Amino acid sequence: MPFLPSTRLMLFMLGSIGLITLPHAWHIPPVLFGFFTLMLLWRLFGVWRPSYLPNRLTVFLLMLAGIGLLYSQQHSVFGRDAGTGLFVVALGLKLLEIHGKRDVYVIVYLAFIVAVTQFLYEESILMALYILLVCGVLLATLITQNSQAPQTLPALKTSAALILQSLPLALVLFVLFPRLEAPHWSWLDDDTQARSGLSNTLEPGSIAELSLSPELVFRVKFDGELPPPAQRYWRGPVYASTDGVRWRAPPVLGRENNPDQPAFTGTAYDYTLMMEPQKQNWVFALEMPTQFAGGLRRNGLYQLISNKNPGDRAEYRLSSSPAYNTGGISKTERRENLQVPGKPSVRIVELVRQLQDKQARPELFIGNLLQHFRQENFHYTLSPDPMPDQPIETFLFERRAGFCSHYATAFVYLLRVAEIPARVVGGYQGGQINEVGGFLEIRQADAHAWAEAWLEGRGWVRFDPTAAIAPERIERGVNVDLQIASGAVNFSPVQLDAKTLSWLQRGRQLWQSVDYNWQRWIINYDTVNQKAFLQSLGINDFVKLGYWLLISIAGIGGILAWRLLRPNRRRQDPALVLYRQFCAKLSKAGIEVDAGDGPKTLAERAAHRRPDLAESIGRITAIFIRLRYQADSKTSDLQVLKTLVASFRV
Amino acid sequence: MSAAALSLKQRLKLSRFFSGEAPAAGPIVLTQRRVFILPTQRGLAFVLLILLLVLIGFVYNNNLAYLLGFLLASIFFVTILHSFKALAGLTIQPARQQAVFAGQAGPFSFQISNPGSQPRFAIDLVLQSELAISLAAEQAQIVTLYQPTRQRGWQLPGTLTISSTYPLGLFRAWAPLRFDSPLLVYPKPASQQLPFPDSDDGQDKPGQNRRSGDEFDGVRAYQRGDAIRQIHWKAFAKGQGVHSKYYSGASSSELWLDYQHTPGHHLEERLSQLCRWLVDAEQAGLRYGLVLPGLRLPPDNGAAHYRQCLQALALF
Repeated sequence: MPFLPSTRLMLFMLGSIGLITLPHAWHIPPVLFGFFTLMLLWRLFGVWRPSYLPNRLTVFLLMLAGIGLLYSQQHSVFGRDAGTGLFVVALGLKLLEIHGKRDVYVIVYLAFIVAVTQFLYEESILMALYILLVCGVLLATLITQNSQAPQTLPALKTSAALILQSLPLALVLFVLFPRLEAPHWSWLDDDTQARSGLSNTLEPGSIAELSLSPELVFRVKFDGELPPPAQRYWRGPVYASTDGVRWRAPPVLGRENNPDQPAFTGTAYDYTLMMEPQKQNWVFALEMPTQFAGGLRRNGLYQLISNKNPGDRAEYRLSSSPAYNTGGISKTERRENLQVPGKPSVRIVELVRQLQDKQARPELFIGNLLQHFRQENFHYTLSPDPMPDQPIETFLFERRAGFCSHYATAFVYLLRVAEIPARVVGGYQGGQINEVGGFLEIRQADAHAWAEAWLEGRGWVRFDPTAAIAPERIERGVNVDLQIASGAVNFSPVQLDAKTLSWLQRGRQLWQSVDYNWQRWIINYDTVNQKAFLQSLGINDFVKLGYWLLISIAGIGGILAWRLLRPNRRRQDPALVLYRQFCAKLSKAGIEVDAGDGPKTLAERAAHRRPDLAESIGRITAIFIRLRYQADSKTSDLQVLKTLVASFRV
Repeated sequence: MSAAALSLKQRLKLSRFFSGEAPAAGPIVLTQRRVFILPTQRGLAFVLLILLLVLIGFVYNNNLAYLLGFLLASIFFVTILHSFKALAGLTIQPARQQAVFAGQAGPFSFQISNPGSQPRFAIDLVLQSELAISLAAEQAQIVTLYQPTRQRGWQLPGTLTISSTYPLGLFRAWAPLRFDSPLLVYPKPASQQLPFPDSDDGQDKPGQNRRSGDEFDGVRAYQRGDAIRQIHWKAFAKGQGVHSKYYSGASSSELWLDYQHTPGHHLEERLSQLCRWLVDAEQAGLRYGLVLPGLRLPPDNGAAHYRQCLQALALF
């Protein structure tokens, strides 16, 4: 028997498949997505014009074309991108080959796999909701396939009910299903996606405008008090060697084994830090990290390095203390941090001499230098002129306007000329408090560079020349909303008053808080988190876990069975109830009431037996028939019937 | 309602799953005792799909892939309940069965009623023929399924299997039902058209071996009960209305169909021939009587007499 899928089924299926593949338009090569779209549209056209559908030979040729496209676009056989491309192309081709119910199932199952591949690219709450909705439509496709007289709305309702009924059990499985650390398979790795963030090198002269990306870098939740804004320095890479234009990290060789534990004084802050996907495996701890959990190590530059895949979100338990003393410095380290390219110019040497006192005390020189920045005509700007040649000199003597990297590099350069070991530290500064979730959000716009000088008896000490010139930058942090709204990033300035802005901010904070919890509890629920959570429930081993799984499945199943399978009470037609009372009265009068009789037959027989009651029997029957079977019955009829039946005496 | 509780041995009997319990005379309500559920091939493929999704979640350490996998797994689980719900509560009872001649497809009618407030979107019924229906809430429907008939006499319906793969096709819920509602099967009328017997049963006056139409007497307006052979087709074709040819003596001629005088090599052949004559005589509007060993039905005609005679043949 030829299989003719109904138009409704086809539209359901093609619609949900289009929706499920749509987000891949941003992930897979455009050629592959175009190929898929072509197949989908062809099939859609074929719903109304089946004769235009390709025959077997054409499908075979299309398959060869698809394989060719895959081969030309993908470089590997395995991995996320290759797999996604393969499934999308296969889905497109399969759409043209629907010969039976089985094919419908193959397509729907393939679509579920494509749905899962979306999560390999994006794990946001919105994407999850979107996929959930589309899965609802996919299920509705199957319901349509299995119904005799399918209807759109009931099918969608049933699929929504199915999903809602399944969610509790799915969540229990999600929590209890043992998460095993998957080994890292390198052949599954794809090229790192282009992500913004701090880089290995710093080149202040070449940047004309600092990006004010509101993209989230990490979030921090403190166990207790938050550190004051002036202490919120999140340490990243250290830039120590320079050619005068570009600054880069010192050769890491020999540093790995030298993580002297600094001496800490004062209170420590305990906090949970959650990194968003990054390019580098740097973890930006509050200066200075004292304790850090497994998976992290501290390099010789006091920077925390993670051994996890930087492309994944990760959560870390950390402890930091703002008061520290790093102690002594090795000869190599000293040489490295005094390195300047070539000989400093006359102007520079002159300036250094001006700021130095007779004894060449480092602290005094630094104080004078900061004073110099403050008193002279230096400005803080987010869009300085580019300074490609001799950026430091140009900045110090001519432009005198720049942002943190300009100040930090110039500061370090001058310190080095003054024979004080110094280096530039990159990272983030500040962060915005999310009042809803009570955590700190640090964005790309909070990227910062400051300086570090080695002082006798104090070790490496942080100095932030930007604070001297723009203290509000440090005290209040970057107001990303304001800067975006005022046009620093956006090209069309929007007039926003403070109130609207605060609403915007609050809405965003609420959303961020939801997102934070989503990331924290759903996306980031890994082996470690699961272990901690299960132990808080008292589940220590697999046997107990098995019991919990069984008990919860049985419990939820029991509740569902009770809800679904209890006999559904009939909604009785009130007219029918009254008529039954009437029938009961008749049978009491000795008139046989046969279930097979229609009301008219019964009325005739009853009237024949009891001519005295013929009139009221006739009236009751007529009203009942009108109420039950005719559309034009009046609402008052029911009341009349009630009175008549009540007054009916045999 | 369902019969008394089953013993353990009966409960575990394999035939319950395929051919159902002992035939029931009355209505059967589909309960957990009657309805069986097993995953279909598609359901097993769905399990593979779930495993694949969980594997993807494992390899990529992706919690949302896990979550979708678990969601599908619990949908799979919840669907078991929905599959049962697709059939549970339906009441099936045999309706009045129409007798047929052997060799014809035997129609077995059943009334299926849905007493609940929940519509049933897909019910498949299989006897020998198949039928798929849907039932709205609080509705009943009479369905007729066919099963070939070979032998005359009472024939019980085979196992009526009522099944559904609603909602997702991952599970098939089915209930094999047997009913004690036999269908009467008349003998198969002989295909040869032998002339009516010229018989005399010795006790009554001689039977007429006369086909109607011997003595044409005239034409009268059609009356109910006139045989189709008597219709005056020529007049009808001329547009003069429906008239019947009237034969003198036709009303008075009585035909005796006697088993003893029926040609045939064995019992079935003779019954078959008698059956043929009965059909022809009724069609011709003759008055006919039937004589079987131990049974004698005096001449008469009309539907009731016709049925009585055929039943006598069927159950002889």
